[in-house]
Amino acid sequence: MEPIISIEHVTFRYADATDPALVDIDLSISEGSVVGVVAAAGAGKSTLAALLSGAAPHHYAGEFFGAVRIAGADTCDVSLTDISRTVASVSQDIDAQMVASVVEDEILFGLENFGVPHDEIEGRLVSALENVGIADLRDREIATLSGGQKQKVAIAAALALRPRVLVLDEPTAALDPVSSRSVFETLRRVNRDHGVTVIVIEQAVALLSAYCDRVVVLDHGRVALDGGPREVFAQGTRLRRIGVDSPRCARISNSLAAEGILEDPLPALDVASALAQIDRILRAHGVEPEPRATGAARPRVRTAAGAGEPGPAPRPAVLELSGVDFRYPAGGAGVSDLALTVRAGEIMGVVGQNGAGKTTLTKLVNGLLKPSRGSVVAAGMDTVSVPVSKLATRVATLFQNPDRQLCQNTVLDEVAFGLMLHGTPRDEALERARAVIDRFGLPAAEAPFSLSRGQRQLVALASTVVLDPALVILDEPTSGLDYRECMTVMGTVREMAERGCGVLMVCHDMEVVSDFADRIAVMADGRMLACGPSHEIFSDADLMARASIAPPNVIDLAARLAAEGYTAFAGIEEVSGIVDTVKELIFHD
Amino acid sequence: MTNVIDYLPGETVLHRLNPVAKLALAACIILATFLAQSFPALVGLLALTLCMGAYAGSLERLLALLKVLVPLGVLMLVLQTLFVRTGTPLALGITDEGLASGARTALRLLGVALPLILMLTVTKLNDLANACVEVLHVPYRYAFTFTTALRFVPVFSQEMNAIMEAQTARGVEYDTRNPIKKLRLMLPLCVPLLISSVGKTDACALAAEQRGFYLRTRASSYKRYPLRALDAGALALGVALVAAAALL
Repeated sequence: MEPIISIEHVTFRYADATDPALVDIDLSISEGSVVGVVAAAGAGKSTLAALLSGAAPHHYAGEFFGAVRIAGADTCDVSLTDISRTVASVSQDIDAQMVASVVEDEILFGLENFGVPHDEIEGRLVSALENVGIADLRDREIATLSGGQKQKVAIAAALALRPRVLVLDEPTAALDPVSSRSVFETLRRVNRDHGVTVIVIEQAVALLSAYCDRVVVLDHGRVALDGGPREVFAQGTRLRRIGVDSPRCARISNSLAAEGILEDPLPALDVASALAQIDRILRAHGVEPEPRATGAARPRVRTAAGAGEPGPAPRPAVLELSGVDFRYPAGGAGVSDLALTVRAGEIMGVVGQNGAGKTTLTKLVNGLLKPSRGSVVAAGMDTVSVPVSKLATRVATLFQNPDRQLCQNTVLDEVAFGLMLHGTPRDEALERARAVIDRFGLPAAEAPFSLSRGQRQLVALASTVVLDPALVILDEPTSGLDYRECMTVMGTVREMAERGCGVLMVCHDMEVVSDFADRIAVMADGRMLACGPSHEIFSDADLMARASIAPPNVIDLAARLAAEGYTAFAGIEEVSGIVDTVKELIFHD
Repeated sequence: MTNVIDYLPGETVLHRLNPVAKLALAACIILATFLAQSFPALVGLLALTLCMGAYAGSLERLLALLKVLVPLGVLMLVLQTLFVRTGTPLALGITDEGLASGARTALRLLGVALPLILMLTVTKLNDLANACVEVLHVPYRYAFTFTTALRFVPVFSQEMNAIMEAQTARGVEYDTRNPIKKLRLMLPLCVPLLISSVGKTDACALAAEQRGFYLRTRASSYKRYPLRALDAGALALGVALVAAAALL
């Protein structure tokens, strides 16, 4: 069958760049498939999306070699408008791509423009909304919707045009895990029921592996790997070198395979199949699960070593919230009765759905919002009586979007800026900034805005590290970063904690939270549901359900293995813990 | 987050008018405000706008806007009063004519700003654009540019707020009480705001093109915007207001 899109030896260089963004790409995409594209930052993912939607070469000028054929037509020969009849796209910036202020008008826009007969419009409008599951949002103002809802509006607006291909550039970058999954469920339904080819560019490998039937990995503008998700994620070591993460279950399978224990050549991608694989291995080695005697009560024994329990003498608290209420004057979700203590040297993760009040919590801590009841004491200062600019000398914040934080002409000035604001003499500030910049390997003389997204995040982080704060607040520190950048950022955060800084981290990525947080606070509907050591929180299935959080795969797997009767797995949080336990069980018996 | 020009849903006569008729009525009130010389007329026009706002349910918005405009009006009053030298002196070099002309300027400022805002709160931006294209034969690209600009105002002000918050949390003294110092601190933020604005505008243009922007004609709109008797009534009222203001 003729592929719906074929990319033939395409090399593309943006007009203002010296190196090509894509080099000799050769891909053909068959109709009806769901293709995931993953890559390290700056490896050409967004350029590939632009190529597929015709935005390159029509919207982005540059040098274009080779040919892209969409439904047989060369994209260089037909106009962008005509390409859009076949390929609809959803871009990264949810807000900027909206052309109307009401959901209904947003969907009408394309239908009207492409001259859909007016007697068909109502039907197309309704079916697009229903397919995406947002029929109830028809008359809503787009500005009042959540990120996940907006994303679905963008998908519905694209689908109303009945495209044959849907291209999405990082649709879940700003969404919580539940909304992300719901967006991917929508894509799966659209693909299954309407045969729409879906191409999705994404960092979230766990979602890609669960929903795509083909995964393409880009490395420095070239296709490095291309195949079914199990074949691709079997190459964990190579992926890591490229800067791409693997799903945790695949990591377990790959480690077991590397130890020569796993016979199945392909890795498990989800918890259920990892469970089956390990069960098979154990039984093959004669390890039988213990009969499920009592069933309910699971022992909570931690086998993996790690920080978590406070040491003998608790360290001083750097953040104390007690009985904190806050309501926004214009209405909207506030928070009530928050109590939380973060000690020096501790990493406290805050998890919960979008709208649970996490961002409000961070703003209460750095003083941008003042509690209407209760008290917030950060680094020994009461946020009500101390001005924000004074608090900022000891309490640093790293915002989700680094671009809002950066304002200087060079990286060096940017990093030194905070120090100078707090009264450090210029020479000393520059010297300290230089030391941090060297440690991060950043280009000191470059303009921050000319750097990549990940590097800008590092610059923003460097300008908080240099302050040597008593408390640092991180709002989604890893969103939009690739695996390698994520590890650099989180490694730095851990170093800061080791030097005695308290860390309050809001994060959607449960794997990151479980890897790095010592304790976790769970929020829902503006309240604090629970706070405790990460393994206890994540293994509390009831709590996870109330907060609509999916526990990290490894913790889930360990809990399910323990429930099966392999009690040795109870309480394990890390990939290596699972692998070591499997080895112990089969070699010691 | 609500903004002054956000649409307030409703079923009142003002909501149901053709967007072009609303625009015309607002323009007439503004024109009348410029023409009117007497205080009763100026106050009357302002009261009319506020009454319509109360009827359409947007009084709260208008009053919020008044809170911002009244100090500006007072400033105009003071300046005019100080600079106009003709007429009979009253006290401290202030003349009766100066006071009268200052008061008129202040009232006009309020009377000119409110009708348009009122009109926008009872009209969906897309209806406004489509009706202008259909009834007034405005080229769609201009109508789209205008409504997109209005739509982006709150987006950019949110972005600016977020940037200010981020900078405040870094220790920049935006919580200072000195407005000049605050303004000086805000200037460097134009760079990040400009960069994100250019990016957003570009993304919006691309998205519009990919959804057939260039194919759009006057007949494209699904909804129709005929002028009805009600609209003729609104237009007549507008013309009558202008005539009355000019003659009285």
